Amino acid sequence: MRPRRIGWLFVVSLTFLTLGFNTGASAEPGVTDNNVVVGCSNSFSGPLAFTGTELIKFGTELYFNYINEKGGINGRKITLKTYDDAYDPTKAVSNTKKLVMQDGVFCILSPQGTSPIFATLDFLAEQKVPLFFPFQGAPLQSKMVFTSFTFYPKEAEIVLHWLVEKKGFKKIGMIYQDDKYGYLYRDQAQETLKSMGMQLAALESVKRGAIDLSAQMAKLGQADLDALMVILVPGPAAMVIREAKKAGWTKTKLVASGPVTDEKFIILSGNEGEGVWGFSLWPDPVHSQKPAVVEYRKILEKYAPGHVANRYSLFGFFYAKAFCEALQRAGKDLTRENLIKAAEGIKNWENGIISPVNFSDADHEAQEDGFMVEVKGNVFKPISGWLSLEKGKLVERPLGE
Amino acid sequence: MSTHSTRTGLLLAVAALLFFLCPLFVSRYTIFVLNLFAIYALVAIGLNLVMGYTGLISAGHAGFLAIGAYTTAILSTSMGWMSPLVILPIAGVLTGLIGFALGIPILRLKGFYIAMVTLAFGVVVAEVVLQWSSLTHGDDGYKVPRAVLGGFIFDSDVKLFFLIQPITIAMTLIARNIVRTRAGRAFKAIRQSEVASETMGIDLAKYKTAAFAVSAFYTGIAGGLFAYAVGHISPDSFSMSVSIDFIAMIVIGGMGSILGSIIGAVILTGIQHALSELPEVQTLIFGIALIVFMIFLPKGIGGKIPDLMQSILRRNRNH
Repeated sequence: MRPRRIGWLFVVSLTFLTLGFNTGASAEPGVTDNNVVVGCSNSFSGPLAFTGTELIKFGTELYFNYINEKGGINGRKITLKTYDDAYDPTKAVSNTKKLVMQDGVFCILSPQGTSPIFATLDFLAEQKVPLFFPFQGAPLQSKMVFTSFTFYPKEAEIVLHWLVEKKGFKKIGMIYQDDKYGYLYRDQAQETLKSMGMQLAALESVKRGAIDLSAQMAKLGQADLDALMVILVPGPAAMVIREAKKAGWTKTKLVASGPVTDEKFIILSGNEGEGVWGFSLWPDPVHSQKPAVVEYRKILEKYAPGHVANRYSLFGFFYAKAFCEALQRAGKDLTRENLIKAAEGIKNWENGIISPVNFSDADHEAQEDGFMVEVKGNVFKPISGWLSLEKGKLVERPLGE
Repeated sequence: MSTHSTRTGLLLAVAALLFFLCPLFVSRYTIFVLNLFAIYALVAIGLNLVMGYTGLISAGHAGFLAIGAYTTAILSTSMGWMSPLVILPIAGVLTGLIGFALGIPILRLKGFYIAMVTLAFGVVVAEVVLQWSSLTHGDDGYKVPRAVLGGFIFDSDVKLFFLIQPITIAMTLIARNIVRTRAGRAFKAIRQSEVASETMGIDLAKYKTAAFAVSAFYTGIAGGLFAYAVGHISPDSFSMSVSIDFIAMIVIGGMGSILGSIIGAVILTGIQHALSELPEVQTLIFGIALIVFMIFLPKGIGGKIPDLMQSILRRNRNH
């Protein structure tokens, strides 16, 4: 009896499968005369749900709504198809396969997280699907990929050069998260300092999701540091500030990494963040009066009234805009190859938010700089111009605020 | 009876034929999902052997999955000429041995303490994978080479379908036989009452460790197939929530039921894929489903199906 039942079960489920799934294929996947479909797997639940939701729902999608209302790009409206991967690489792979093989998207835009993104790279390369502006900072170079913000090792290099050359700091320590993000920073910091004839004066690691840093902070406190680089996420980084206050650190300057330099960090540190330095990739999303940032806030207010501006939705907004710029340049005859060529043709793109963007066939990095900020009155105030490295030398250009 | 079994055999053969023809008429993504169904079904069967049949809670099966996956990935890299039909059993046996070793300390424990130890095991495995980066590439993740069998490269989901599905079917049949043997009956007896089974002469230590070893073996093989199917593995792929998902699979599918394991794996993986567009709804459905199953179907769907089928058949016969 049993095998027969299983047999029926098979037949029935197969029928459902055949009826349920089907793929559409056209000349160029995801492109019709009046529409282009773009895909994104991101964290809408799990540890990075806040970032993912702000990024996509209040950034990318908002900008696309705005553009679609104006008639789209080259007569095509943009549809963004999103799936949740909850920061799980396996789910990211299945979502990406679904986007490419079932939904037939034209390209992938702004997924989040190093592990989930790297898990999908081979598949995307195999299928020749371009990946635009992933939200992650591990170095990544590929013909099919255009990256977004400054890579973590480059950031570490810039910050250290600035601390040593501009501020004359000698004893620099680091507290880092025990994962790839932390390692990228740590390893580069060791290399950079070595090239300057120095070394990290103290080094402590923190497990992801840790809730007590007192042991690490006690050790770091004994090292009598000029600066402590804080390579964590906003929650634990705020703990570093509180522990430092509690232990009465006065000499040591706390220097937050890019991912920490975020408004949430100031809120979490509960008014005790005053004087902390950080590396900022963005103008202040809430207070900046740059016309492009004002435009971002206006569009945010129009489509999501009352929603607070932040760096994540600004990221989504900005890179949606950069993507539309490439789409515009690719023209009416939209293919994946044309889009990549058009993007590579972007030179000195004045965008009013970050430094002018330059791409070429060898350079697919949208941003390679940042600037130092200090927390004053619970706001990040710039204390340097745009900092970048040219042939290993620190270069500073005006911010243009 | 003989015509009956011929008809059953015929039906099964047609079903199998249809099943293996389905790459011809379903999308490539569907094939990928079918492969994941099969892989998770193997894990669920493995977990069911130790949890559903023997009654030992394991909250660390993602750890076994990771061991199988990394063993396969590392062997495929260092010995690329080796056939997956050799690599997978090695991955399975290695994972099985580790399962056996984990079974020993568990002999001293009962109920939730076992859950705690296995939970810790899962976390420790992910941590070892993260820290032992010279072997596992740590947080960078591991790019898994393609399976190569006698010059044939399994470089697409459709080709992998013909590697993954037959192995799953074979191992399902083996599991069905295991639970009908002396060992299977011993497992069930242990779940019902350890004291009573010991009185009957069942060697508790032997069967409990065996249950863990076999369960780990199944999950190890699944891990190997998982590595091939996903193509890129990293410690984040084997987090605690993955272990919890496995438990949910057999709770929904049915504790102590092979068919239930498959149904649970298909339902849970299916929900995740069908609702990945609506994460809030997914969590909601998942949570409600678990509560509903605990209250109304404690034996899961697999435990209910035989009753249902029987009543339908009976009604048909009466008409």
